[in-house]
Amino acid sequence: MKKIGSAFAYYLGVTMCNIKMALLTIVEYPSNILGWVISNPIQFLLGFATIKFVVEQFGGINGWSYGQLAFLYGISVLSHAFSMIFFVQGWFMGFFVIEGEFDRFLTRPLSVLYQFFFTNINVFGFTDLIPGILVFLYGCAKTGFSFTASNMVGIMALLIGATLIRGGIYILLGTTSFWTKSANDFGQFVQEIFDKTTMYPLSMYPEAMQLILTFLIPIGWVSFYPVSELMGIETAFSAGGMGVWITLGVGIVTMIAAGLVFRIGLRRYESAGN
Amino acid sequence: MITVRDLYKEYRVTERGRGLGGTLKALFKQEEKIIKAVNGLDFYVGKGEIVGFIGPNGSGKSTTIKMMTGILAPTSGEVLIDGRNITRYRKEAVRDIGVVFGQRTQLNWDLRLEESFELLRHIYRIEKKDYRETLEVMDSILGVGELLNKPVRQMSLGQRVKGDLTAAMLHSPKVLFLDEPTIGLDVGSKYALRKFIKEINAIKGTTVILTTHDLGDIQELCERLIIINGGVMMEDGNLSEIVERIAPYRTLAVEYYDAVVPEHAKAEILSVSDNVVRYKFMKADMTAAELIRDLSELYPIKDVGIEEAGIDDIIRIAYEMKK
Amino acid sequence: MFDGALDKYLFVYKTRIIRSFTYKFEVYGNILMQVIIMITTAFFWKALFGSETFGNGITADSMLTYTVMSSVLSVLFTTGVERRMQQSVEKGSIAIDMMRPVNVFGVFLAEDLGSLTALLVQNLLPILLLGSLLIQVPVIASPSAIPLFAVSLVLSMGINWLMAAIFGMWAFTAISMDALFQAKKHLIRLLSGSIIPIWFFPKWLADILNALPFVYIYQLPLDIYIGSATDEEIYSRILLQLVWALVLAALFCLLSKRVLKKVLVQGG
Repeated sequence: MKKIGSAFAYYLGVTMCNIKMALLTIVEYPSNILGWVISNPIQFLLGFATIKFVVEQFGGINGWSYGQLAFLYGISVLSHAFSMIFFVQGWFMGFFVIEGEFDRFLTRPLSVLYQFFFTNINVFGFTDLIPGILVFLYGCAKTGFSFTASNMVGIMALLIGATLIRGGIYILLGTTSFWTKSANDFGQFVQEIFDKTTMYPLSMYPEAMQLILTFLIPIGWVSFYPVSELMGIETAFSAGGMGVWITLGVGIVTMIAAGLVFRIGLRRYESAGN
Repeated sequence: MITVRDLYKEYRVTERGRGLGGTLKALFKQEEKIIKAVNGLDFYVGKGEIVGFIGPNGSGKSTTIKMMTGILAPTSGEVLIDGRNITRYRKEAVRDIGVVFGQRTQLNWDLRLEESFELLRHIYRIEKKDYRETLEVMDSILGVGELLNKPVRQMSLGQRVKGDLTAAMLHSPKVLFLDEPTIGLDVGSKYALRKFIKEINAIKGTTVILTTHDLGDIQELCERLIIINGGVMMEDGNLSEIVERIAPYRTLAVEYYDAVVPEHAKAEILSVSDNVVRYKFMKADMTAAELIRDLSELYPIKDVGIEEAGIDDIIRIAYEMKK
Repeated sequence: MFDGALDKYLFVYKTRIIRSFTYKFEVYGNILMQVIIMITTAFFWKALFGSETFGNGITADSMLTYTVMSSVLSVLFTTGVERRMQQSVEKGSIAIDMMRPVNVFGVFLAEDLGSLTALLVQNLLPILLLGSLLIQVPVIASPSAIPLFAVSLVLSMGINWLMAAIFGMWAFTAISMDALFQAKKHLIRLLSGSIIPIWFFPKWLADILNALPFVYIYQLPLDIYIGSATDEEIYSRILLQLVWALVLAALFCLLSKRVLKKVLVQGG
């Protein structure tokens, strides 16, 4: 136990140092800040416009009211934002594999995956948090979701689990580069798929797809199942108030699985210039 | 300190046909080929040695260095750093090594040099006191102190390499790996780098393994050379031993007063121009003095010159040799 | 002599086709992803519409055709010119590019057309097939609309490329391009009708969008295809599309001259 504690303190110290460096780097390029502060929130206008202008005209989708959809959308954007802060590097794993960028991490006494994500922690991800918080609060107001202590803890567990699920999937996809030896730039597409499947109710898709997105690729747990429960909407997986904790569990399992696959892939790493 | 045992590394490469037809075909089927980059290496490096690791491009030396530093996993065989298998116990074993790859930097491009050091101080859990001491030593050898506040992207290559060397030494590793450290450096920086290697070797007893194409590095630094080609070891020993083995001959140029070409039973005539005749003879057969004495008995000699086989000849020959 | 000049661009065009075919995983991966996006969008419309009919006679079926065709068109609207300009400015190779005895924008266009040709076989065909198979065969509303669709599509591609090229010239202003690329992509998706047709928007917003060039990339050809507008509307909008294409072409000529001059003065 003491050993785990000191390891945690160690990684925390290194992480703080990495965050400090990331902030210093941002200050070096002030013109970038403006670019991302403007461009990141823009991408959520489309989703919000869809809910506001399209869904509202039809009254709702599959038994989800307009306010409930805003809540779902808010959770989706928030978990997206956190995954952008901590795990966006996964999108560029192929580049690291091809260019031999893992060399540096492999010669240091830290987990390679940890270094990969935290050496380049993306502080700009906060620009995605802003629209996420706004839409989420809007959804809360429309649905009368109250901020009781248990609701707050639940939302936190949900967001941590959802972020881990997203991060784990980025890692699993990025890891394919160890086998294909090409820099697969899948980021944009993955984000689109996540958008479509986490911002709207999963129940609008055919059963086979719901099964895949529940068991094979656990996207359903990012937002749909836990939020359904919070909103009191019946699904195949109403777990008596445990939904958010299942999400957390699924997130942890996905991340562990991703870490294992990454380790196997890393053995095939060939550095660069051979 | 370092044990390399029965080391092999194979790569699979996919081949693609040429032209539009070949690319179309590759969409459906790719041919695989296995390349043996390292083909059975065995050696031991003791504490405090400076070992030059040389070989032509594509000889497998980079692959070997990368396996020794834990970057690549061997196909079979093992690398032990201070008794620890670096593939299996990477996180523990890499604490004992420092790595500088000439063309790459481990420093943060955008920030002041000291920020990168600060991160390494956290990563290697270096006490502030030890950190300052090491930095002082490095400053006295490399003059790195004045660079601490400079952003890395504004540094010259020479300054950046100094920064990288310091970064690799911060945690006082037992072994320092340098992959082509002098590539692209000017004369002054090369001198500083060689001085650095000699001094940390003397002061801290650091074992140094370096790959280089620079003959100056080899001559000045390496007590021991490991020459590899085609993934196998061609030579292993100190410079003079290898010279002895690969080129056990010398060349004697003799200038006579007249245009004569006297012969000697134990020497081969390489060339004749005007009054100068060049003889090649085996060191084991006789000394240069004996050859001069024998020749001078035949004709009067005006001048003599002895040529050793140059180090570049040695390496060229070693590269060309096939086992 | 004219033939010789064209040869150079043809060579660029051909090399780009080969390069585009090179990465197998990327090819399959991209198709797979695009198909998934197309399918998810289709289910969204199905769930939303049910058996309802929207104001202008649009049903779930027309929205499915709209979705499939929007995915198909997105392949035709793939451009590399902005990235190319960004990279050649960043690497400083733009001066060399421009010193060659060919028009640098001509080269970029040839490259994009080369990539596009490869994409027709590689992406467009599979997306069309899978869309037809899994969602619905996208049948054009009436055969008489085919020529109009073709005309407006060519103009769309022109507008799309010109906007990309003009946008790429930002690269010369030392502002971080990555953020701008994202902003542009998301604005086009929102404002061009590629995902949501703009007739869903409130009237005031739709009116504004109709005055901007974005709707002439996706919305107009798609409206013609699914037959959601009257003939008179279509004629007047194609006219507006033509006007926008000409305006953008003029702007492009003006700016590209200025950019070339700037590079030559600075010497790269």
